[in-house]
Amino acid sequence: MSFFGFGQSAEIDIYLDGQDARKKVEVKTEDGKKELMLLYYDGETVSGKVNVSLKKAGSKLEHQGIKIEFIGQIELFYDRGNHHEFTSLVKELARPGEMIAHTSYPFEFSCVEKPFEVYTGANVKLRYFLRVTIVRRLADIVKEVDIAVHTLSSYPEMNNSIKMEVGIEDCLHIEFEYNKSKYHLKDVIVGKIYFLLVRIKIKHMEIAIIKRETTGTGPNMFTENETIAKYEIMDGAPVRGESIPIRVFLAGYELTPTMRDINKKFSVRYFLNLVLMDTEDRRYFKQQEITLWRKGDKVRKSNIQGQQQVQTSEDINSADRFPQLHPGGTDENRSQSSKDDTEEQGSKQVFTEIKSPSGDSLHVGDPFSDHNPDHITENQIQHMQREAGDGQNDSNNEKRE
Amino acid sequence: MPATPQQLSPVEEQEKLLDEALGVVKVQAFQLKRCLDKNKLMDALKHASAMLAELRTSLLSPKSYYELYMAITDELRHMELYLLDEFQKGRKVADLYELVQYAGNIVPRLYLLITVGLVYIKSNSGLKRDILNDLVEMCRGVQHPLRGLFLRNYLLQCTRNVLPDIAETENDDGDGNVRDSINFVLMNFAEMNKLWVRMQHQGHSREKQNREKEREELRILVGTNLVRLSQLESVTMEKYQKTVLPGILEQVVSCRDAIAQEYLMECIIQVFPDEFHLQTLNPFLKSCAELEAGVNVKNIVISLMERLAAFSQRSEGVGDSGRNDQGSPTCLPPDVQLFEVFSDQVASIIANRQDLPAEDMVSLEVALVNLAHKCYPDRVDYVDKVMQNSIEVFKRLGLEKFELNTLVAKELQKLLKIPIDNYNNLLTVLKLQHYAPLMQHLDYYGRKLLSIYILNNALDSETLITTQEQVEQALNLVKTLVSDQSDQPKGEVDLEELAEEQGLLARFIHQFKSTSADQQYLVLSAARKILGVGGPLRIKHTLPPLIFQAYQLAYKYKDLKKEDDMWEKKCQKIFQFTHSTISALVKAELAELPLRLFLQGALAINQIGFDNHETVAYEFLSQAFSLYEDEISDSKAQLAAITLIVGTLEQISCFGEENAEPLRTQCALAASKLLKKPDQCRGVATCSHLFWSGKSLASNREETHDGKRVVECLKKGLRIAKQCMDVSVQVQLYVELLNHYIYFYEKGNDQISVQILNQVIGKIKEELPNLDSSDETDQITKHFNNTLEHLRSRIENPDSDVISYEGLEI
Repeated sequence: MSFFGFGQSAEIDIYLDGQDARKKVEVKTEDGKKELMLLYYDGETVSGKVNVSLKKAGSKLEHQGIKIEFIGQIELFYDRGNHHEFTSLVKELARPGEMIAHTSYPFEFSCVEKPFEVYTGANVKLRYFLRVTIVRRLADIVKEVDIAVHTLSSYPEMNNSIKMEVGIEDCLHIEFEYNKSKYHLKDVIVGKIYFLLVRIKIKHMEIAIIKRETTGTGPNMFTENETIAKYEIMDGAPVRGESIPIRVFLAGYELTPTMRDINKKFSVRYFLNLVLMDTEDRRYFKQQEITLWRKGDKVRKSNIQGQQQVQTSEDINSADRFPQLHPGGTDENRSQSSKDDTEEQGSKQVFTEIKSPSGDSLHVGDPFSDHNPDHITENQIQHMQREAGDGQNDSNNEKRE
Repeated sequence: MPATPQQLSPVEEQEKLLDEALGVVKVQAFQLKRCLDKNKLMDALKHASAMLAELRTSLLSPKSYYELYMAITDELRHMELYLLDEFQKGRKVADLYELVQYAGNIVPRLYLLITVGLVYIKSNSGLKRDILNDLVEMCRGVQHPLRGLFLRNYLLQCTRNVLPDIAETENDDGDGNVRDSINFVLMNFAEMNKLWVRMQHQGHSREKQNREKEREELRILVGTNLVRLSQLESVTMEKYQKTVLPGILEQVVSCRDAIAQEYLMECIIQVFPDEFHLQTLNPFLKSCAELEAGVNVKNIVISLMERLAAFSQRSEGVGDSGRNDQGSPTCLPPDVQLFEVFSDQVASIIANRQDLPAEDMVSLEVALVNLAHKCYPDRVDYVDKVMQNSIEVFKRLGLEKFELNTLVAKELQKLLKIPIDNYNNLLTVLKLQHYAPLMQHLDYYGRKLLSIYILNNALDSETLITTQEQVEQALNLVKTLVSDQSDQPKGEVDLEELAEEQGLLARFIHQFKSTSADQQYLVLSAARKILGVGGPLRIKHTLPPLIFQAYQLAYKYKDLKKEDDMWEKKCQKIFQFTHSTISALVKAELAELPLRLFLQGALAINQIGFDNHETVAYEFLSQAFSLYEDEISDSKAQLAAITLIVGTLEQISCFGEENAEPLRTQCALAASKLLKKPDQCRGVATCSHLFWSGKSLASNREETHDGKRVVECLKKGLRIAKQCMDVSVQVQLYVELLNHYIYFYEKGNDQISVQILNQVIGKIKEELPNLDSSDETDQITKHFNNTLEHLRSRIENPDSDVISYEGLEI
């Protein structure tokens, strides 16, 4: 971001150490384009040189000092004037004086803490950048360079599968299972849907990945749902006893790690939305939150990794019906229930009528109902909307036509 | 395009939809190839996906969908070849298997996945097991019957040549072995079958017929799985027994769908080798018993039996080393009791399936008999056992009689005809102890038809019945023809039909031929006893052959007289037998027939000439006479009878004068007592011969040549003729008498002179012109002229010195 000054007499160029060798990643900008940026991780030293070159040889540049800043900031779009800087480091490169020739200033921010990951959403942007400022009396010469930051997580200690029995009484009764509750960004969601009761004519079933971005607090809270992916996992109407495999590769989608309450400014959370559509275009859905995390780049596993079979719930006697390829399953699947509400949801949910205030039920979507972005507690019945993947909750339980 | 939407017929609609889809396929396929040419794989995949998206349609009928499927899979082959080529060149596209899984829609995604999976397998067989497992599992995502069936068919087609086909122990790495193949195909089969069955239950019930038709069209897709299994060479007998068949059967039984069960069972029978079937009869047939109510189990079992029967015959021809002592063909493994197994299983099927119609039960038994016959041709007891089983089944079901034209009756007829046709020997059929009781389950008409069939067969194959018991059994079998039955319908009997049936029976009686004469007598008397109760309408047909058989037997004894001292007594007994038999006919108020039989008997007696034969012959003749007198009233019949009696008497030479004389006189008397004059005239004329060529002991068995009596007879004839009122009849009689005269004249009767001839000729000539011209007159004239012609030729060529026609006036 250069400074558009008239008669600007110097140009700043920031050279980062090892920038040719360093990995670059695409970062989405606000206008939807993608830009390649150098990638840094938390705690990594950001160092390099700042080259200041004079436009006209022989001229000289007078300045009140040159500094470089390392800034991490959150920008809320509704409040563009206020940038929330959560990191700000400054290094002085030169004392006030005159510059006669091209000068190069080395700098180093050693072991910078970069607690968050860069993010550009619908209502919020989190960015890191280096800013060099040549302080002048009239107009400072400023140069900013954005860098990308990825936050790596270690393997989650607990990673239970998500397993749940849901349904609408006397209508539809399914059990679904996702092999984990926490997925890294190149992970594969493996799971299956087991149909316990089918009395509706299902046309197809899909899994949508929904990103829910919440910004601000109180009256200024905005929630934006975005369907990142829609993935058909079943075509046609199953009958009782069918089990449908799920396998979704995440690598191909634009996902970020789950972000919770970043600097008390925003959250980005992900949901898997299981949607069944009947022949009359009614939708039945159930959302489950999953946690996404970023794993350090390693050699990618074989592409058949996804076929690891999900362990079948012991509550339903389907074990002999659907032999498992890897009967052991993953250890996570077996681990005890966690108190984390995004993890194990309890192996079996009591089904309730649509209006029943307790238990999980699958919700009949209504194309024309209002979207009520009200909060719901865990115990409330969750509704799914019919229209494409907004994934919002709806306290209205009735099926409306 | 017309402004109003055109109403398209369903067929046109389908064509239109298909054309549109094929159009899209064409465009996308073209783009696909272009991208491949330019090595733009990602674009190519996109076009492939767009092309495959056409298969997501729900609008096409199975037929049209099939066409679309064929067009698309054809195009996919290009991509497969391209990818294979690339892989072989070493230019692997990383994560292609994952890449194609990003396709948002499941149908295109899975087609692509299968295509790519195949390429992976072909370029790295170590992945085979995993990929095969993965593919067959992932295909579960398509639950729409039509689309699912075709998708899985594509899977099956693609993997056709890569299914691991090596024995289990040899390889346990990623390449997989035959067990993986079996699991793979069985899984695919189960899923396809479920989809196929599900079609039945989707949609409106009034379209049921249509749906069933569509299912018929699709069944081959399901059946292909079984074909694939049968093509695996590493599937040994043991594998088949332990894994393959139980897997299939479990699916078949549990799907509880009649159409599927019937087709798949048939499939199993057809695709797997006979050797396998032989070893798995029990489980297979047990499953048959568990099939749905609507399933035509009969056809399935029969089909298997026929196949195995054909197999046993086929391989018998090859390994022609005879049979073992049990009479089973050598090709059948000795441990497989083919018949017993089938027999038991059929019995249990019949017992367990309440809904099985009786005709199907019988059909099963029919098949069982066929099997027994083909595989164990010598085991009559097997066939008998089937008959016994059938009887027991009927008994248990409380079924008594089956009316003709019901399905059961038809099947039962079939069942009963098999032994007849197969053995072509009534005697073998008679060995089946349960044949006759089983036959009793047919109603009267059914039994009669079958009886006729049996007789025709016996006649065609010229089966000889040689013993008393056989006669009894055989006649018992055809009881409906022999005598009246309790369940016989009342009312008019169709005489023509009866005559035909009895004719058959009569012909059959002629085949009662024992080797020894004594035996033959027993046979005949046994037959007589049974046939005797047949009632007047029947015995008319059935007793005469018996009588003739008896006469023949008498002749036989005559031939045997040197060997058998008792022959005369036996002959006498035979004639007593015939006498009583004929008397039975007499009692049945028949006249002419017994008359003739008596006469025939008299002739036989005359020739055989046993001790005391004169008396017997006299008795026979006198019986004939009394019949003539008592029973024959019609004048024409009387004339015929008297002519016969005269003829017979003329032949018989065994009478002494004391017997011959009264008989002859009686004849002449009887003749002159005929009612009508012309008859009298002719009768008397005929009697004249008795006195000329008749023989007796008195004349030393030479001709009597009593010329005087002859002339008396003829004169009497002339006198009677003269009394006739009708001139043309009179002339006719004169001409006839003239012929008699000429005959005797030429024979040398000295009582006849040319004058007499002239008188007669003159008389005729006098009357002849007075006749009205008519056909009759022409005939008489002709006869007369011919006679004169004869005389003329005699005059011109006198060939004998004795007789001269001198003085004859013509």
